[in-house]
Amino acid sequence: MNRTDSAVPEAARAAAGPKPSAGRARTVACNLLALGVVLLLWELGAEKMASPYFPAPLEIAAAFERLATQGDVLGNSLWDHMGASVTRLLVGFALGVALGVPLGLLMGLYRGAYANTRIVIEPFRFIPPIAWIPLAIIFFSGIGRYAFLIFLGAFFPIFTATMVGVGRVEPIHRKVYQVYGAGKLQILRRVVLPTVLPDILGGMRVGLGTAWMTIVAAELTGGESVGLGRMMVNYSELLRIPEVVVAMLLIGALGFLFNEILLLAEKYLFRWRWQVAL
Amino acid sequence: MDTKTDAMVRVRESHRYGDFAVHENIEFEVRENEFVCVCGPSGCGKSTLLDILAGLLRPTEGQALIQGRPIDPARQNISFVFQEPSTLPWLNVRDNIAVGLRVKKRPEREVRQIVDDIIEVVGLRGFERHYPHQISGGMKQRVAIARAFATDADLVLMDEPFVSLDQPTRERMQHEILDIWQRRRRTIIFVTHNLEEAVFLGDRVIILSSKPARIRADTRVALQRPRDTLSAEFTALRAQCATLLNELSRQAGHVAPEPARAV
Repeated sequence: MNRTDSAVPEAARAAAGPKPSAGRARTVACNLLALGVVLLLWELGAEKMASPYFPAPLEIAAAFERLATQGDVLGNSLWDHMGASVTRLLVGFALGVALGVPLGLLMGLYRGAYANTRIVIEPFRFIPPIAWIPLAIIFFSGIGRYAFLIFLGAFFPIFTATMVGVGRVEPIHRKVYQVYGAGKLQILRRVVLPTVLPDILGGMRVGLGTAWMTIVAAELTGGESVGLGRMMVNYSELLRIPEVVVAMLLIGALGFLFNEILLLAEKYLFRWRWQVAL
Repeated sequence: MDTKTDAMVRVRESHRYGDFAVHENIEFEVRENEFVCVCGPSGCGKSTLLDILAGLLRPTEGQALIQGRPIDPARQNISFVFQEPSTLPWLNVRDNIAVGLRVKKRPEREVRQIVDDIIEVVGLRGFERHYPHQISGGMKQRVAIARAFATDADLVLMDEPFVSLDQPTRERMQHEILDIWQRRRRTIIFVTHNLEEAVFLGDRVIILSSKPARIRADTRVALQRPRDTLSAEFTALRAQCATLLNELSRQAGHVAPEPARAV
């Protein structure tokens, strides 16, 4: 692609955007600095408190190493715990997307369907997923129980964002396709979906947060022996705070990682937009 | 109106929304490759006329035909250049221009060839990969025009395509559209409320009255192109149309601000 950038300075500048590499390096440096500052303050605090219930960062690291190499007191490895939580999360989250997006599109396209049924739909939004735990324990077992609870947490943000997004479809964009004789399916694929996709991804990121909250709560009560939430409960009963903090930090780190993956997807998919909302 | 059979477009319709008559006995023909401008006071139903010609709206009485057949956007090739920016923000310039070709399911190799050619014609070479937010308003409208000319449109409809552009850009675009039309012969129906634009561009200028719209005048513009907007013939013709339009606007109950500005 031979762009004649020199001849078109204004557009070329807009296309190039701000110098990405220099800005990114700076951002990474700032983030590492912030992390260092927090760790330092934590270390100082731990030294001052000198309490087994306020472990220093190094103790956390040691606990992490023990868990990673030797497994926990019940013989489950750290990877079993993480694997169990991530699998449950992904299954429930995938269910949330698989139902939330089509239903959101449908209710967005046929506002009447939503308007006529919202008395059934809306109240469910306000029942926290963890309030379903007793019923989930009765009706489901194994991964189904967790998948159900996480689905409840992920569904509504995705569903609502999709439905609201459909309202953003510009009539003019629809008309562009209609004048060429495009049918409903083509308009759905070529106009509605591209318009709504940013909202879907946004809803997915919100849903991901609720999903993590839900899974830890579910694992705190569930009967299984693996899962990061389970591991946390086991160690809190033993009053072994470093391991509890390891579980907490892993949940945070995994959530962060998943969010970053979605953000990358957004950046790639929506490079046509001015900027990606962070 | 005579009943010549070589007409590209034949319109004979009346349209009403409930009790409210929008069009009354709108009847005209457009020859192949003719450039027809339609003028009228604001709110006289020009956009409704374009919707009927695009096959998006069925008139309550009568019909519009292209090559003798009722208009159906799925079967005929109709292009539409809209008043508002109609580029799709998630497609780059190249894919925006290809929209019509892709709906018509033309082979991808052909699409590439046609888009390459038309990009040259509208002067967007070098901007193929740019997204709409990266180019100016005039360029966006050029993308829309390229899109309209990319398909072998039997009929190109234009709804005040230059109204949101500043004056110099607008004048440049008027020259460009004539240039494109002369290179890629098409039948064009161009709606505007700017009389100067209509007389400058059209082979014919149709003037509509308002509420309900009737054809008030159908004037052939027999001036050589390129037209000199300062020549005596041009100003005379424009003044003649302006008088008509002002009269219509006054009858419609408002002092035509738009036609007055245009003159």
